[in-house]
Amino acid sequence: MKERIISFIDDKLKQFDPVWLAENGKGGQRTRYRDDGSGIARYREWRGVEDTFQDYTAWLKNLGYMGAMVAKDPIKVMKGIWEYRWMGSFLASFAFVDRIYEGYRGRELDIANIHGNAIVRILTLRIGLILHNDKRLGGGEMTDKMIGLDETIPPLFTAGFPTLNAEPMQTMPEFVVCDVDQHLDPYYIDVAESYGLAPDVCSRCSAETGVAIDDAFPVFGKLVLSTNQPCNASEATSMFQRRRFHQKGIEDYPFVFAMQHNTKNGNEYSKEELRQAIQKIEEVYDVKYDWNALFEKAKNMNHQNQIELEKWEIFATPYSPLSGINESLYKLVEWALVNGHDEYFNEIDDKVIGIMRQAVRDKYVPYKGKTRHRAFLWGPSAMYYTDFPTWAQNCWGIDIVLNMDSTMGHNMIDTEDPEQALEDLAKFSEKGVMRHHAVGGWDNVNAVWEWANRLNCDMVICNDNVACKGMNGVHALLEEQAQQLGFHFVFLPHDLEDCRTIPRKEIRKAINDYMSIVMGEEPLDATLVDFDDAEAW
Amino acid sequence: MKKLIGFLFKLVKRIVLIGLGAFVLTFTIYMTNAENKLIYDVVRPFLTKHYDNQARDRRI
Repeated sequence: MKERIISFIDDKLKQFDPVWLAENGKGGQRTRYRDDGSGIARYREWRGVEDTFQDYTAWLKNLGYMGAMVAKDPIKVMKGIWEYRWMGSFLASFAFVDRIYEGYRGRELDIANIHGNAIVRILTLRIGLILHNDKRLGGGEMTDKMIGLDETIPPLFTAGFPTLNAEPMQTMPEFVVCDVDQHLDPYYIDVAESYGLAPDVCSRCSAETGVAIDDAFPVFGKLVLSTNQPCNASEATSMFQRRRFHQKGIEDYPFVFAMQHNTKNGNEYSKEELRQAIQKIEEVYDVKYDWNALFEKAKNMNHQNQIELEKWEIFATPYSPLSGINESLYKLVEWALVNGHDEYFNEIDDKVIGIMRQAVRDKYVPYKGKTRHRAFLWGPSAMYYTDFPTWAQNCWGIDIVLNMDSTMGHNMIDTEDPEQALEDLAKFSEKGVMRHHAVGGWDNVNAVWEWANRLNCDMVICNDNVACKGMNGVHALLEEQAQQLGFHFVFLPHDLEDCRTIPRKEIRKAINDYMSIVMGEEPLDATLVDFDDAEAW
Repeated sequence: MKKLIGFLFKLVKRIVLIGLGAFVLTFTIYMTNAENKLIYDVVRPFLTKHYDNQARDRRI
């Protein structure tokens, strides 16, 4: 009876389902959007009764997390929105979640919303904590017990300081929110350039510098650990940021990792750096490192990585309902921000791997069997604000099986011997965000082909950051390799966080051209081929 | 006893009605994408104007 009612309603409302519209040549995903380039949909996606209600309840849950953040300290949150431009950008989060999970149905949507809720939960908790303890907004009980970390330093090692709280400095003002709102970072980039700094540099580092110049970092803690991760550009921006931190009375300590992170000497060097960073924190905060506290959180991280290794096995099959931005954004947040500190994420992993195992047993074919190509992506953050993987699947049936950033540190950490744990942590920390396959020698970049083979991909897509001098250097080498190894290969031009240099539409055009001219294929959804979203968040 | 049953009936009726009202309201907001329209068309332009007029200390 229930099924009959559901299928009756589904049949009556199918003209509001963009997937049905595209399948029947009557429209598609963009049909429901306004025509003003704003990227605002006139109505939300109708996914059928069951999936729509599933998505609605996930939306309600996100609303609840945001409400809880405001309710905990409404004055500080309001002050934060009034003070920081980047806080205004977080208001676009609902639209961001809709955008990245567009077209998802069934088990893909189940996992997406489990992940989406977990991401919103942790971000609202951390934003709430930062604003509550921000000296600029009045400070709180944890203000002097917080350690500022560069966003690319994996925070697991700070678990050995259970009375302190380590927060990545740039994650909220720049790193995460620029994915939610593409118009945020151009403002900070302009601030940096109007200060007289070079415009042809990595736009992420430029934006971070702009945040420092604009005095838009939250103020907390006594110490900030800056770093050279992921590359030399980070060293430059760290130098500008430390000036601002010093003005606020916060000491700076450079925590420098070996660039050649696959060598024995490199690992030894990073291990010593890690030891010294721990000593520095002990000195500044007058606390002793607690190895048992570290081991407890390292167990969480090991559990996470064990599941991750199993996920990679499932990714190699055609039955994984987890892929694309759903996989990579969750992994990025879970690895770079949580990093073993929150047991809740272990519960999420257990739940998701359960769905994935069942999908394999059922030989479940995701995306209604519309996937035509399986791609390994070499993609940094430009893939998030452009919602590129979601678009690639919906428009051309290209499933982004895995992104290079998702292969971050996955070695296990010893949970008994401090000396061994330090060595494991050094290895783990060296392979941080945008690092494992971006720096440390040609072999690391060249590993994309091994990954593509391992995951049974026929395509490799490589983001081509026009301002990244390092990756520009390997451009021709990668093209040669693709030709020799027989992969479909596309370079996606982008300027990382500066959406003005190469807009989303131009990024999509690179794929459109390849798929139509080289491959001679027709799009799955014609409304997604060429549309204007320049004014969208 | 009758009074208690009457009270419980009213209470359940009220909870159901409130729940139904909340569902209709939130589901309407959800389906019409009302919160995003409000933020994009009203809240963000107001905030952006405020941010653009902020005096920020750019001496570092």
